[in-house]
Amino acid sequence: MSTNGHTVIDEEIIVCRDVHKWFGNFHALRGITTSVKKGEVVVIIGPSGSGKSTFIRTLNRLEQHQRGDIIVDGIELTNDVRNIDAIRRDVGMVFQSFNLFPHLTVMNNITLAPIKVRHLPSKEAEGIAMDLLERVGIPEQAEKYPAQLSGGQQQRVAIARALAMQPNIMLFDEPTSALDPEMIKEVLEVMRELAASQMTILAVTHELGFAREVADRIVMFDEGVIVEDQPPDEFFNNPRHERVKHFLSQIL
Amino acid sequence: MSVVREPDTTTTALPPPRSETGAVGWMRANLFSSWYNTALTVVVGAVAALVAWYGLSWLLIDADFSVIATLGGLLLIGQYNTEVGCPGQNCFWRPQFILLMVSTLLGMAWVVAGGGLTKRIAITVPVVVALFAFLPYGLDRMGWDVRLLLLANLPALLLGWALGRYTLLGTWRTVAILSVGGFLLALVLLRGIPGVPGLQPVSVLHWGGLMLNLLLAVAGIVVSFPIGIALALGRRSNLPVVKLLCVVFIEVFRGVPLITLLFMSQVLVPLAFPENFPLNSLLRAAIIITLFSAAYMAENIRGGLQALHPGQAEAARALGLPGWQTTMLISLPQAIRNVIPAIVGQFIALFKDTSLVYIIGMLDIVELSRKFATTYVENGMLPYLDNVRELFIFLALVFWIFTYGMSYISGRIERHMGVGER
Repeated sequence: MSTNGHTVIDEEIIVCRDVHKWFGNFHALRGITTSVKKGEVVVIIGPSGSGKSTFIRTLNRLEQHQRGDIIVDGIELTNDVRNIDAIRRDVGMVFQSFNLFPHLTVMNNITLAPIKVRHLPSKEAEGIAMDLLERVGIPEQAEKYPAQLSGGQQQRVAIARALAMQPNIMLFDEPTSALDPEMIKEVLEVMRELAASQMTILAVTHELGFAREVADRIVMFDEGVIVEDQPPDEFFNNPRHERVKHFLSQIL
Repeated sequence: MSVVREPDTTTTALPPPRSETGAVGWMRANLFSSWYNTALTVVVGAVAALVAWYGLSWLLIDADFSVIATLGGLLLIGQYNTEVGCPGQNCFWRPQFILLMVSTLLGMAWVVAGGGLTKRIAITVPVVVALFAFLPYGLDRMGWDVRLLLLANLPALLLGWALGRYTLLGTWRTVAILSVGGFLLALVLLRGIPGVPGLQPVSVLHWGGLMLNLLLAVAGIVVSFPIGIALALGRRSNLPVVKLLCVVFIEVFRGVPLITLLFMSQVLVPLAFPENFPLNSLLRAAIIITLFSAAYMAENIRGGLQALHPGQAEAARALGLPGWQTTMLISLPQAIRNVIPAIVGQFIALFKDTSLVYIIGMLDIVELSRKFATTYVENGMLPYLDNVRELFIFLALVFWIFTYGMSYISGRIERHMGVGER
């Protein structure tokens, strides 16, 4: 059991060793070494430009790392397309700007990948989608188009869409940053429920309340390196680095 | 200092201010708001009145549109059914039979689409065609056979509807396959088969009139669209060779005038073949027009792809969709939807450009009219020279009807797909 009541299995599902990433001449990730256990909830924070989004985007190869090893769910990320597709089927991702497909209904947004990638029969995929829409609290929106929903509802559909592939890991890239305050709550509620269901979660977020309440670990990035990696209590009450204190003082 | 109101003492919702309403108000605001605006209105109004006066008096008193009736079938199909194109036989039934096939297919499409725009088109086209059966020509110029084949478009529509409704043929797949098959059959029918009675071959050099414009336009539109998509994707490819080939193709075909390309196809292509090799000049023209249009189409679609948020493809890839499915299911549908106006603009341009085949000696509806108006000598006279205006006004109307039809359809599709909304 972890500090926040999740069942964490002592088995590393994500392993990163000395991961480097450059954008042109800009050294975005400067040797990231970390690991995540099955069922763990890791919140990643840090100032903008610190590499936190880049880091979780390397985990499903939306960004390609140039040095070091990344092993996700036992599969090493190489240039092998089959490995990349296998990992992407296993890792769900939720974006800051939702990225729902505007030309498809909510239902078709959710069933697209299960039907095309997992080759589920459409009836079965629709059943799964309805269950997920119930779970995120908007089953009545199934036949609408994304633009007809509020931001919070769109983000919940995006979570359902990622979950429809039945992933073992969920990545959240600032899922609430584009939302109005009253909609942040409904999205965090869904994420909280997800954390309680033993899902392995990596979330980049500025919601420190959520981090304190739900995270097993808080990892802070600054200038492409990890400067702090602690359980929430330690992180907030007893930060080891000046930079963490400075960052917290700026956003609290 | 603000005026603060309690939430429950809501002010009454007011109607918008009644500023300049009514016709007088509108005129005052838009036509006579200042002295120069008033002067402009007066001058433009005077010019418009003059043009209308002379235009209308010509149209109502001097104009003689009988030239169109006299030329009749020539404008529609050129020399196809003359002693030049089809000696000793009646070949008029062949294009008419093709119209019947179109009506039947429209009937099927109506069932498959289940109403809406398709239904409207499916009914309009056969009805308009059938109305031509009532043209007040003498029976010696327009016989019962011709009139009955025109009227037969209505039963053909019903036949297609019944086939779609009561047989297994009522799917988009069969309609698409039958359309392609029908187009090829139409070409064979027009070309004729040597040795078969009633199907004596007609050289493509004698295909003409509006039929030629429509054949080139339909073939060009249907074929240039997928080629354009392929070129657009190729130009964005990561494979350097594919990308280079696509860029070179697009820039060459966009950089050379269509007339030049058509001309080159006639004078350069034969160099690559043995002497006396039977090259089909219509086919060459069709290929050139198609490739020319495809190059523009590619750039339209590339623009649509460029405008997409990169997050769309990222989200699809993150779900595990392979690259080609991301393109076919996510990127392309959105890109095409966003550039429908440009695509239809390209189709309209293509339709109008079909009249450029005069450069290789083909008699499309425009060239035919020009030739008749200026070179057809009867008893040493130019019989139609006085009616050139009427003829070309008619041509403008014909082109406008077809291009406006395309605009209308595109507008309806845009609204249906919610362009600019979703």
